[in-house]
Amino acid sequence: MPRRRSAKVLASSLGILMLGTGLAACSAGDSPETVRFYLSKPEAIPYFRELIKEYNASNDDVEVILDSSANLQAGFLRGNPPDLGLLNYNMEMARFMERGALSDLSDMPEAERILPEVQDLVDQYATYPGRTSVLPYSVMAASVIYNTKIFEDQGLEVPTTYDELIAVCEKLKAAGITPFYGTFKDPWTAAQGWFDYTVGGEVDVATFYEQMNAQGTEVGPNSAASFQKDFEKPVTQMQELIDNYTNPDAASKGYGDGNLAFANGEAAMYMQGPWAFGEIAKTSPDLPLGTFPLPMTNNPDDLQVRVNIDLAAWIPEDSKHKDAARAFLSYLFQQDVVDKYNAAQLGYGTTVDAAPATDPRILGMKEYYESGDFYQGASKAIPLTIPTENYVQGIAVGGDVTSTLSTLDADWARLALRR
Amino acid sequence: MTLMNTPRADGATDAVGAATTGTPEKAERAPRSRGDKVNWPLTTVLILCAVTVIVPLYVTLSMAFKTQAQAVDGNAFSLPAPFSVDGFVTAWTLTNFPAAFTVTVIITVCTVVGTVILGALASFAISRNWDRKLFRYSFFYLLAAMFIPFPVVALPQIQLTGLAGLDNPAGVILLHIMFQLSFSILLFTAFLRSIPAELEESARIDGASTWQTFWQLIFPLLAPMSATVGIFAFLASWNDFMMPSLITSDPALQTLPVVQSIFQTQFSNNYNVSFASYLMAMAPAIIVYLFTQRWVMEGVTQGAVKG
Repeated sequence: MPRRRSAKVLASSLGILMLGTGLAACSAGDSPETVRFYLSKPEAIPYFRELIKEYNASNDDVEVILDSSANLQAGFLRGNPPDLGLLNYNMEMARFMERGALSDLSDMPEAERILPEVQDLVDQYATYPGRTSVLPYSVMAASVIYNTKIFEDQGLEVPTTYDELIAVCEKLKAAGITPFYGTFKDPWTAAQGWFDYTVGGEVDVATFYEQMNAQGTEVGPNSAASFQKDFEKPVTQMQELIDNYTNPDAASKGYGDGNLAFANGEAAMYMQGPWAFGEIAKTSPDLPLGTFPLPMTNNPDDLQVRVNIDLAAWIPEDSKHKDAARAFLSYLFQQDVVDKYNAAQLGYGTTVDAAPATDPRILGMKEYYESGDFYQGASKAIPLTIPTENYVQGIAVGGDVTSTLSTLDADWARLALRR
Repeated sequence: MTLMNTPRADGATDAVGAATTGTPEKAERAPRSRGDKVNWPLTTVLILCAVTVIVPLYVTLSMAFKTQAQAVDGNAFSLPAPFSVDGFVTAWTLTNFPAAFTVTVIITVCTVVGTVILGALASFAISRNWDRKLFRYSFFYLLAAMFIPFPVVALPQIQLTGLAGLDNPAGVILLHIMFQLSFSILLFTAFLRSIPAELEESARIDGASTWQTFWQLIFPLLAPMSATVGIFAFLASWNDFMMPSLITSDPALQTLPVVQSIFQTQFSNNYNVSFASYLMAMAPAIIVYLFTQRWVMEGVTQGAVKG
């Protein structure tokens, strides 16, 4: 009797094991061709889920599956990456492209529709000879967010020069209002807002990094371009703004604290991107907000906004369903589909026929975006092996500008040597 | 019982005795607290330890039932007002909770069963053949795996499982068992040494084969240790993020901890949704522990003291 019971236990446990493998096997079912669509932006999932449902209903031979949990590195390594990716494009993603892991999409009609200055943003990170492997889908423009009500109450105009900015800050300070809300506990906020806006307002970021990449190991105190030489002025200005015009407890506040405080009207300006609007709206859905590019010089023509490629589409070389993936990509790039996404997520269109932005919160950046006056964040062009965000955080809480920037130069040269 | 009778004999305390008869435990404990002094330093330490567990649990619970606006208001300790189950609804649909839950349960159950059976079999063979080199060295070999963390071998494992067609929960189960095996064998062998060899010898005299000896004599005796090993395997497998995230390629077969990772990004905090989701994922582990903690404690002490 006990023997039979133990045999049963063994048999049932084996059965469960086999069930596990069986379940895995049936996922490779073959009737309609499956396209694995990778999308990791949580806010975008409900919208694209609806699109996929519609698409699958109208296509019998293709089934698109939404994948929001894949590990891209593992997928590419294993040789079965998602068939279509739509996600943030940055230096890490560019590594895959640079090595030829993403297929050429230049023959697609969608590639023709992309604005050339937006396509340039992709190429600023890396290129692969003869290929257009990444198609920008949505661009986020970021600049200073300001509380329009506070500005109106104080009779303030949006500043277009650095002197005007200082005057605005002084007036706010005199009225007992914190000009900027700083959240330096989270290093990325110091880099994304403060560092990128101040540097981008004064330095031609793309040209600077072109020079830096060309110099490689030569970067140092005597090279033609260096962080120490080119960034010292804007970063010093950044430190001045932080020292004089932020909340005194900025060093101990994080991104979440900042959104809450700004939503409650505790400061007039906030160095964040449009992603913060949704967070602010959780607390104050009706707060009137606007945006303006941070003036860093006394020439209003120098004004530019920071952009990043919020979503970009690519199809891996290893995909076994390239044609089906391309068909779905075309579906996603239909103008009304893109426009609807951008309107909901406060993004800017990437195609020649894109609908203009209408949300009042991002209207302040419209003219700069449309005339191509934009740059990609300076902190985003430095490989992650260099802890740029933490260096910037150090400066934000009082670290020495010159020595930190020369450390950055040394790191850059060392990394170039290793490559 | 004698304790309860004492006050009753004394006429003056009769009323007290009558009052306490309804709650015999109280009456039994009373003299102890009167006689022994409370160990305040130790009690304080224990209270602090309890607080470190209870406070996060409380925050998880209250956060899960908050509305989105209240979840970001900076007061982690406030009670949910108004009470909302939106977080649960969103988490349920956004992660396709039932599917992810089922996959996680299958992986965990298989890992626990596999670890206990393989661990017990291997330990039995090793401990009864300790005088043979092959078995002794295989013990050290298996133990050595304890010093190899998964991230170190992650890349080759991803490639290997991909080549072998194991980039699915079956591969995760296999790897979970492998990585759990060394620690389990350590526990099992220590425990097996405390079982007298005479027991087995008498079984042999009665004509039992090795297989029969193991299943009818040794394995039942190992039960408390199997419970410990099983609980460790359960917790490791249920909570694991990295292995399923790297090994499983089909998103439909992904486990709970991995699908939950979408709630927290750099730019947005959905505290109420994420905490509702974490709560749903935590519940089984807490429930399992509530019902099995007796065996965990027993197992640990039994394994610790070699007979």
